Amino acid sequence: MKKHSEIDSSRLPRDPATGEPLTPMCTPGYYPVFSTLSQSPFWDDATRQVVTKRLEPARAVEFFSAEEFEFWTAVFDHLIPQTDRTADRQIPLVGPLDHRLHINQTVGYRFETMPQDRDAYRLGREALNEEARQQYGNDFLSLPYRQQDLVLKAIHDGKPKAAKEIWSRMSVHRFWQLMMGDAIDAYYAHPWAWDEIGFGGPAYPRAYTRLERGEPEPWEVEEKRYEWLSPEATISHEVHSASDLHTESDQHKVVEEA
Amino acid sequence: MKKPILGAFQRPSNGKHMLGSLQSVHVPMRTFAQQDDVDYVIVGVGAAGGVLLQRLARAGFNVVGLEAGPFWDTEHDWVSDEAGSHELYWEDPRVTGGTDPLALGANNCGKGVGGGSVHWAAFTPRLHPSDFQIHTRDGVGVDWPIRYDDILPYYEQLELEMPVAGPAYYPWGHPHGYAYGPHPMGGVGNALIRGCSALNIPVSIGGPVAILSGSHGDRPHCIYRGFCIQGCKVGAKASTLITHVPDALKQGAEIRDHCMASRIELGKERRVTGVHYFDREGRPHFQKSKAVIVCGYAIETPRLLLNSACPGFENGLANSSGTVGRYLMAQAGNVVLGRFDQPVRMYKAPPAHALTEEFYETDPRNDFARGFAIQTVGPLPIAFGKQMLASKKAWGWGLRREMMDYNHWAAFGLLGEILPWPENRVTLADEKDRFGLPVAYVCFNLHDNDKKLIKFAKEKTMEVMAAAGATEVVQEARYAHLVGAARMGSDPSTSVV
Repeated sequence: MKKHSEIDSSRLPRDPATGEPLTPMCTPGYYPVFSTLSQSPFWDDATRQVVTKRLEPARAVEFFSAEEFEFWTAVFDHLIPQTDRTADRQIPLVGPLDHRLHINQTVGYRFETMPQDRDAYRLGREALNEEARQQYGNDFLSLPYRQQDLVLKAIHDGKPKAAKEIWSRMSVHRFWQLMMGDAIDAYYAHPWAWDEIGFGGPAYPRAYTRLERGEPEPWEVEEKRYEWLSPEATISHEVHSASDLHTESDQHKVVEEA
Repeated sequence: MKKPILGAFQRPSNGKHMLGSLQSVHVPMRTFAQQDDVDYVIVGVGAAGGVLLQRLARAGFNVVGLEAGPFWDTEHDWVSDEAGSHELYWEDPRVTGGTDPLALGANNCGKGVGGGSVHWAAFTPRLHPSDFQIHTRDGVGVDWPIRYDDILPYYEQLELEMPVAGPAYYPWGHPHGYAYGPHPMGGVGNALIRGCSALNIPVSIGGPVAILSGSHGDRPHCIYRGFCIQGCKVGAKASTLITHVPDALKQGAEIRDHCMASRIELGKERRVTGVHYFDREGRPHFQKSKAVIVCGYAIETPRLLLNSACPGFENGLANSSGTVGRYLMAQAGNVVLGRFDQPVRMYKAPPAHALTEEFYETDPRNDFARGFAIQTVGPLPIAFGKQMLASKKAWGWGLRREMMDYNHWAAFGLLGEILPWPENRVTLADEKDRFGLPVAYVCFNLHDNDKKLIKFAKEKTMEVMAAAGATEVVQEARYAHLVGAARMGSDPSTSVV
């Protein structure tokens, strides 16, 4: 894991007043000093075991090769970037994915336009490298951060220029959803991410008793917002409302045709 | 780690399972031998199978429930955690396709005793009288072979058995009230009340939900921790695991968990002789039975009937009409998300706690038949992240920023009727599961009426969210709840039962 001093400052979020990079934090977000884990004595045993297991050192890589693991680590650094976190508080994303693929755990269905998850990640790596080579003349890992972002943006938009053969066997949009889903599953399952977003976490058997007006429990904290700009090097800050797309399949088609 | 200050609850021993923080059950009470010719085998001990098991046992029948998933010990097996709850859902392979493929698994399919009733949100509105006659009234779909009045006594009885908390007066369909008091409001419910009130739309507050608002026997009341669809560790939310299964066992029923039915066997007189199944180690067994009741929900029920094809029944059992697997229905389940300037903290309170059925019936002013409900939902962080991915195309830093505002969002779900179509169906895929059984292929296509209804419902729900004071309103298109695929009818040439 890189120390933040080694990270290019163009990859750090910025203070909008000064334009200067923000110093990485233990807990980014608007709930300073909030710690769901500090409440774990009030959780039941089974929940405490499941959640605290996520803090254990990474297990050995089982499914991916070393090269694949390095590749997907680089990709997931874009899907959910964490340069605003201190190195010791970054949340492992590819480790949990590796374990999921190793035990072949699935969500219980496969879209007919998708291969099995294991094959999707094999094909996806090939396709992303082909896209990188066609657009920028080099493998994904050899590109600067912003060009890597642009390669992924092509997949996000459903408009890859390369790897037509692979994308004829695998839905671009479903593949994007698969990768993003795995990234979200790992990041927002972690208690450090709960601290960041002010989610109170497990509350059995203690209960929540402040249900209205967004009031915090006596053991939660009030929100303290601050302004921040996304890093200079990224294009992933843009969002687009999909509210005019009212069926699930339209949510894919229109993006791919846009 | 310090010892818990509260909740050092009992651990299982000698077959004793905790079902919530107070309730326990000894499993199983009684065991039948495979050569015993039992009266009934029920395949799938879920929402339907769990109740049926209890009723048949009470009536004095010898009955065995086969359940593909585990018999839960909730204190030990369940967690207040999204990612840690995946075993509640059907995770065995299936293939989904068509022009509008349905998400399955966690979206709508349970596994384990209690089935989907373990991870439902627990809204319990009744059908309306109009639901039973949609062909007569609107010229769409098909009429049921029964009427609302036929099932009314069962609604009334089950609403007391689960029991259901809700308002004293519920105005839609056949107006009725609930015996158990409504729940207090969370932030999402308040938003729905505010939005509906601003638009002169009536709203049902604090239910109807099958969640205890006060203690009931050996089950405690709700603690508003928000993890309903991860399985209620508290024991406040009704599932057949805690409502009917304990009594079924007391009455002499047996449940065999981790047992996957593979084929129903027919004898010489084309009568059922029993069912083949695999146990947790994958060993094959056969249970003799005078009758087999298939309660496997909309995917596994047709799959088992189709996988039971045999000489004389080449298209599968109960399928002389060719209807098994057809007319699969889902409900439109678009989620409308609104961002509020003030915090909401939607993870508190049950996701299900207020709704409106004001748009449920066919409205001649619309260009479509049938209607929809608007309900509260309370996505937890992982689900909300995926909604930001779908509704705002968020990723990278954009996703991180949206997620930091999690506590400012509220979410409503629409529940829209999708009509039955013959080509929306379950068939067998070439792919096999770990037992070597062909898996289900699910084909789903939306039609014109469905799309018009969804568009209208989405826009109305967004209007309500805006009227509630949201400064930004977005939506994710998705589906919920499966129905059909083994449909009931009065004509054997067009129905399964």
